[in-house]
Amino acid sequence: MKRWIAIVVIVLVAMAVPQVLNPSGYWMRVFTLTLLFAAMAQAWNLIGGLANQLSLGHAAFFGIGAYTSTILLLKFGISPWIGMFAAGALGGLAALVIAVPTMRLQGHYFALATLAFGEVARVIANVWTSLTGGPGGLSVPFVPPSFAAYSFKQLLPHAYIALVALIIVTVIFEVIRRGAMGYRLRAIRENAAAAEVIGIDTTKVKLQTAVISGVLTAMLGTLFAQVAVFFDPDTAFSAASISIRVALIAIIGGVGTAVGPILGAFFIVPIEELMNDLFSSGAAGLSQLIFGVILIVVILWRPRGLVTIFEALRARLQGRGAQS
Amino acid sequence: MTILDVRGISRRFGGLQALSDVTFSVPKGQIVGLIGPNGAGKTTFFSTLCGLIKPDSGAIMLDGTSIVGQKPHKVAGLGMTKTFQNVALFAESSVLDNVLTAGLLRHDVEKARERALACLDRVGLRSVAHKMAGNLSFPERARVELARALCTDPKVLLLDEVMAALNPVEMQEIMDLIRQLRDDGITLLVVEHHMRAIMAICDRILVLNFGRLLADGSPREVANDPVVIEAYLGRSAEGHV
Ligand SMILES: Nc1ncnc2c1ncn2[C@@H]1O[C@H](COP(=O)(O)OP(=O)(O)O)[C@@H](O)[C@H]1O
Ligand SMILES: [Mg+2]
Repeated sequence: MKRWIAIVVIVLVAMAVPQVLNPSGYWMRVFTLTLLFAAMAQAWNLIGGLANQLSLGHAAFFGIGAYTSTILLLKFGISPWIGMFAAGALGGLAALVIAVPTMRLQGHYFALATLAFGEVARVIANVWTSLTGGPGGLSVPFVPPSFAAYSFKQLLPHAYIALVALIIVTVIFEVIRRGAMGYRLRAIRENAAAAEVIGIDTTKVKLQTAVISGVLTAMLGTLFAQVAVFFDPDTAFSAASISIRVALIAIIGGVGTAVGPILGAFFIVPIEELMNDLFSSGAAGLSQLIFGVILIVVILWRPRGLVTIFEALRARLQGRGAQS
Repeated sequence: MTILDVRGISRRFGGLQALSDVTFSVPKGQIVGLIGPNGAGKTTFFSTLCGLIKPDSGAIMLDGTSIVGQKPHKVAGLGMTKTFQNVALFAESSVLDNVLTAGLLRHDVEKARERALACLDRVGLRSVAHKMAGNLSFPERARVELARALCTDPKVLLLDEVMAALNPVEMQEIMDLIRQLRDDGITLLVVEHHMRAIMAICDRILVLNFGRLLADGSPREVANDPVVIEAYLGRSAEGHV
């Protein structure tokens, strides 16, 4: 009950925030990106948290999503709302292609292999000029503003779309985590041989999870393209600013929980923006350095993520309740 | 009626012939003991039966279906699973979740939870259902293994030293449970080092030595078989090998 009240309050606050921000201002942009990155970290959380496989290749799905809808819009005038589903289909296919050879790898090997796949996707996008426009990048063409065309005069609608996306991805994550698939994924994570022996098709479960994560990430890539308006292969398929960042957000927030990626995104994305603002006039790289130091401190303080702050708080409150 | 038919199973690990030409068949509803010195290949044999290890040659039929080369989850679906000698629980999950996950093979989550609680009742662990599996004592964990295997609704259950480290009372409880499971129609293959327990519960005993089947008969026959005494029982005076 308390839990539901908290969820409703948080959603209402999130819905109110865009109303007090400048409809096309800098903070509206930060807020929208934060929501999108939270949703992406949540999609990553399926593989990284439930299956406990550290994917560093999610930029592949993200980039495929951004490019698919934009190419469909440019070449055939197809609305990104529809392009988003084509993006999801291709993202799912790419996830399958990457998962089949990497699924059996453990730990660092899985991380490195997925990182390599992400880089391969970036190189392909750079080289396949006839389709992607190559290193020059793509601009989402201007179309007369309408909801059907996914074109708006202000940033404000993008913020609400991102909020809805985050809610949908979080619900999907939670349904999977609590359902039969969640039990199977935890079993595989904790002892794959035992999981097989009691009847879990470990290959199938891992592939399903990878595909769901790939589909969602690609669809979010489509949403990102509408906010960014312009992108090139090195940004849409970026290992550092997409793949690693998404993993980092989930890890800092707390993997395997629905709250973790959201906390992580609201911590990392605004701080990163703030650092860039505050120290952009200083020495080159100063903002990244300070950002890095903050991350290290947080990781040392909360190795299992910011989400553990709430657990500690709850334990303390309950302890006090028991004393009185 | 034959439920498990094993023909000429062999398996090598490098220079070591872990199993060689193992052949026997088990009628439905028997309790079969599998004994042999450490390193005889008992665990390897169980792993081969349930699909974790592929044999180099041989055939295995479970209730009329060939299962050689099938993945373990397929074999479990067809009705055969095993417990792990070294205990392979989902250590960071609750005892209930460990067992419930096995119930998902044939049921949805709600039904699997009911089944899991019933299985925990049978092994006497209902009271620790919400403890984390990794925090239990070794004998308790072995019993969670048993409950988890049971929750897959097996036709054939392979128990690899589930009585290790149990006290006599607990051991008697597990022996009673094994008999009840047999009465429920489950066929059991039991690896155990406690000779007295094996002799008491088994309808039949197989003796494995250096991967080879040395003897196959009733407890009395096996205990009096000169080859077995020579190769195996003779080496331990206290009857506890
Ligand atoms: N995966 C493996 N790789 C190499 N050798 C193994 C492997 N598994 C078991 N063995 C060897 O096979 C033999 C039989 O082992 P095991 O089946 O565990 O015997 P038991 O259960 O009867 O004590 C032992 O010599 C063991 O060292
Ligand atoms: Mg053994």
